[in-house]
Order: sequence, then C-alpha cells, then structure tokens
Amino acid sequence: MADINPLAPGLPLAIDPEVGGPPTAPIGGIPPRAGRPIARFGRLGPNLVLILCAVFFLAPLLALARYALQNVPTILLGRSTLFKKWSLGGLTKAFSDKQFGPTLTLSLKLAVGTVFLTLALLLPTAIWVHMRLPKMRAVIEFVTVLPYVIPAIALVAGIVVVKPHARWFLDSNYSLVPFYVILALPFTYRSIDAGLRAIDLKTLVDASRSLGAGWGTTLRRALVPNLRTAIISSAFLTTAVVLGEFTIASTLLKNTLPTFQAIYVKREPQGGYGLNLLALVVTTGLFALLTLLTRKRGSRKSTAVVAVAATAGQARTLAP
Amino acid sequence: MTGLLYISVRKTFGPTVALESLDLDVKEGELISLLGPSGCGKTTALRIAAGFEFADSGAVTVGGADITRKPAHKRNMGMVFQSYSLFPNLTVNLNVDFGLRTRKIGAPERKKRVAEMLELVQLGGMGNRYPHQLSGGQQQRVALARALAIRPSVLLLDEPLSALDAKVRLALRDEIRRIQTELGITTLLVTHDQEEALGIADRVGVMSSGRLEQLAPPAQIYSRPASAFVARFVGSMNELPAVVRGPDAVEVSGQTIMTPSALTRDVGESVLFLVRPEDVTVRDADQDGLAGTVTATTFQGASTVVGLRLDVLDVLIHAHLNSSTASHLAAGQRVSVQIDGTRGVLESLGAAPVVEDALA
Repeated sequence: MADINPLAPGLPLAIDPEVGGPPTAPIGGIPPRAGRPIARFGRLGPNLVLILCAVFFLAPLLALARYALQNVPTILLGRSTLFKKWSLGGLTKAFSDKQFGPTLTLSLKLAVGTVFLTLALLLPTAIWVHMRLPKMRAVIEFVTVLPYVIPAIALVAGIVVVKPHARWFLDSNYSLVPFYVILALPFTYRSIDAGLRAIDLKTLVDASRSLGAGWGTTLRRALVPNLRTAIISSAFLTTAVVLGEFTIASTLLKNTLPTFQAIYVKREPQGGYGLNLLALVVTTGLFALLTLLTRKRGSRKSTAVVAVAATAGQARTLAP
Repeated sequence: MTGLLYISVRKTFGPTVALESLDLDVKEGELISLLGPSGCGKTTALRIAAGFEFADSGAVTVGGADITRKPAHKRNMGMVFQSYSLFPNLTVNLNVDFGLRTRKIGAPERKKRVAEMLELVQLGGMGNRYPHQLSGGQQQRVALARALAIRPSVLLLDEPLSALDAKVRLALRDEIRRIQTELGITTLLVTHDQEEALGIADRVGVMSSGRLEQLAPPAQIYSRPASAFVARFVGSMNELPAVVRGPDAVEVSGQTIMTPSALTRDVGESVLFLVRPEDVTVRDADQDGLAGTVTATTFQGASTVVGLRLDVLDVLIHAHLNSSTASHLAAGQRVSVQIDGTRGVLESLGAAPVVEDALA
C-alpha cells in the first residue's frame, strides 16, 4: 500500500516505498562528493529551524506552567524562586467553582451535537460531490475555507441583525450548534475530503450496489468503515473548535466553557491559567490517543498533521 | 433463459454520444467480449447493464424481463471491476459474504456458499486474509468469487485483467473462461486488449465511436473484418494504394491482385488496400511480384517480421514469415513481394478514420 503524503494527506507519495525510489547510486559518473556540503547543511538547517520553533512554541507554555503551578507572587517569580512551592493544585482550582460543571457539560453537549450535525451534513455531501460533481470540488473546497478567512465577528454581526426575528431559536443554548458546524467546516471538510480521496470511492460504491446493497447499507458497510480515520479526525477537530470558541458564545450570552474561562481568568488568574494549561494537556493527550487509535490503517501521518494543527488551534484560544 | 439483450440503447453525456444505438444479444451461457479503443462506448454499455448508468432511450432486458429503469442493487448482476474493488476493511470471507448478507440468506447457507466460491477460484484457506495481504491476481479471484456468490443472472467483467502483469493475466483469463463454461453463466466482458477478447470469447463485438462495428466469432473478426476500422484495430495491417479493376480484382503498382473485397466497388475507384502481414510473402528478386528491398528483419522466435520497401509505391510494409523461410533475408536485399488478397479489405480514399491508440 502506498504511504500517505504528509504534505497532501490523501494523495499517495509519488514514490512507493515498496517499489523503491530512484536509484541512489550516482549515475553517469557524477562524483558523490558534489552532494556533501548540501548534506551537511541538510542536517543542520532543519534542526536549527526545529529548535527555534520549539523554543518559540514552548517558552510561553513553560511560562504559563510556572505561573499556574507555582504558588509564588508574580513579582517574586525569578531565578531564585525557580524550584519553590510547585503544586498541581492550580490545574484543578477551577473545578471547585460552581459555574465550571454546568459550562463544561454544556460545551460537551454542544460538541456532541456539532459532531453529529457535521457528519450528517458533510459525509453525504462530500460523497455526492466526489461521485457525481467532481468539477464542483474546487468550489466546495473554497466555500468551506470561508469560515477560516472571514472572522467570527462578521458572523456575529450577522447574528445581531437577525436576532430580533429569530429569538425563539437563539434563546436556546443549542442554537450555537449550527454556528459551530460552520466554524469547524475548514477542518472537518478537509479531513473527510482527504479520507475520500484515499479510497477508490466510485468502485467501492459500484461494487457494493452491484452486490445488492442500497445507499444506506453501502454507506454503513462499505464506506464508513473505510473512512474511520477521517471521521474520527473530523470529530476530534470539531470538538477542539467547540471547546475553544469564545466570540459567538459570548455574543449570544451562552455560558460555555470558553466564556467561563474568560470570566474566571480575570477573577482567579492562577486558577484560570491552570485550567487553560489543563485543557491544553488534555487536548494534546486526546490527539496522541487519536493518532494511536487510527495508526493501524495507513493514514497515521495525516492524522498526526491534523492533530498538531488542532492542538495549535486550541492553544490559540488560550488567552481570551 | 437469462440472456442479456440491448435494444437500440442510446446514451449521451452532454454533447458526447457514448452509445449511438446499440443492439446486442448476449445469448444464455455465452461469453461476448466488447473490444474497442477508449471512449468507444464499451464501458458505458456495460455500466448500463449494471445499472450504474441509465439509457437515454432503448431498453435492456435480462431473460426477457425489462431492467432498463431498475436500480443497480435490484438487478442481480455480478460484476468484476478493473481496479481492485474489494472492501479493504473486510476479510476475504466477508467480502464474498457481502452480497449474500444483503440478500438476507441464512448463516449456514452463506458459510457454505462462501467456501464453495473460494474453492472455485482456488483460494480455499485464504478466507481470513485481508485484501492487502493478497496479490493482484488473488484479489481479482476474490472479486470474481464475490460476484459469483450471489448467483447472478449475468456476469459483467469490466477489464478485469488490465491491472495484472502478463503472466497472471494469461492464467486468470483461462481461469475465468473455465469457470464461466463450468457455470454456464451469461457473460459480458469489456476490454481494450484484443488478445484477451479474441482468446476468451464466443463472439467478439468491436466498437468504435459508440457504434458496434462488427459482432462475430473471433476467427471471423480477424479473417473477415467487416470494416477498415475492425481490420486495423484487430491485428495489424499493411496499407497499399490501389485501383479497383473488377468485382474481384484490384491493381497495386501494375500488379493485379485477386480479392473478393472489391465486389461492391466501382471499377476505376482509387482505394486503400489493407492486407495482413501474414498474407505477404517474399521471394527471390528474379520472380514475379512487386519489386522491393528488405529494410529490416526482427526475429520473434517461431516467426520473423520482415520490413519491406516497395520500389514503385515507396511504401513500407511488413511481412510475418516463418523464421526458417526468413533466415536467408537480410537488410538491403532485393526481393519480389507477393500479396494474397483473399482476406484483404478495401477502404475509400479520403475517408480514412483515425484509429485511436488502443492503450490511450
């Protein structure tokens, strides 16, 4: 089986590792020396970039960890107090707040609702587009990126306009679900699309139908099992979006976990940042688990890429 | 009776006419292969039988029952695809079982039939493997077993061998024919490989631009092609400018050649005379015939392909000769070329259709 291209998940690598790549031995008498300086730079360059990126990414997180987990007044945080009064208590401080439980529950319910609505809408649409409207793929892809390009605040402005006319709908906590489906589209559609590109969709559907299966059975028995990785990835990504979204929830006055975080961090800065740190650790852990779960069949690299992207997305929502 | 019948089936995709008006009668237990270049409509014809496409007009019947508008999953067609179509998440057993399960057949019967089918395709004992653990040939065998397990009324084969390497292709071709004959199942095979089509089928239908050019037994397709297209597409042809000299004769470069193909032509008409390389013989230069020079000889084991340039016409033709007769020929040698026109085909000049590359 061809490996998955990490740059474009879903597209196989140009060179099948089983067949082997181009010959590595010099051809036509090119001396192997010629490649050496490049090889030396090749080792150093990427490593340097990696180290710089790691420092850039980890330094604020370490600072956050120190602030959240060290019971030392901010003004005294310095080299002399580096090993003093560390405690994990800061991570769970927020749990004791009476707002925490209900907001977490609501956010999880919203996540489940968003995942189901996303899959119910996207899976048949993406399959249909792949099967019958391949020319529309570029258009659909463009449309699904829009929520990423257009800031959430624009969506919110739209909501404010329709608010008086749709109060019955917007009063419900679950009115957030459709908005979250839209916000998650850039991630979820890509994930499903990559999954569909990795399988021979048309043949699988034709084979299943010729064997007497209707569309329902075909979807359930022939497609969903082969799109498992894509579906799990898209569900995790949706969850990450829901657990990190602040703007719309705040505008519609809903008490979700991110709005709670925003308020709580002002009231109880250490506990607030502790909660953010915990959220980050849990998210990273979940994605590591996802990568493990889905690595059995093929697309582990695409999942890993997706996981990194989502973790970064979650980190973005850290400081409301 | 489970014959498959196409009655004036027409299908267009936008401005493209995929099938003009196909009439085809696949008799019960018969294997017909549809042969043609890509885009000739053969796959469309097959997909219409399978129910993946619907005809714009005309009708398709199986055993006399009209299935023109029936959805694919209610047709009871067994189909084997060009690309490996096994469900990657299911074992070989479960793949073969797939169609039986959708038919709600009881578990003991299903198990028995799966085992039977795997024995039939000589893959007994491989049931618990996953598709990715099988070779290409084995995967196509499983696909065949899966298609046959549902006891289909018609077996549809969509270039099932084209993804396999030459040796496996040959073995599986014979295997498909054996199983097809054994079960007596009505079969329609689509292929662009003429060797495959001629080697396996009871009758071959050669298609071009949405039309069935000729439907006949393989030997007849080869030796009595109904049109210049068929002649060119099946096997290879030498093309010589000629003038019709009578109901059974043409003149090529001053030499009269007897050919029954001139029957419907006007005397004096300029034509292209198509002759198979095996109908060209070479003699010593001092004998009667068209004078020419040997340009090259290619030894191919039992036979040798000899390239010849004719003096007067300045055209290059090929002769397939027995290697022992061709052994004394060498490039540059002067020879006399004889043509046997009994299997020749004539084509009007100026109307030569372009033969697409069969592999395109």
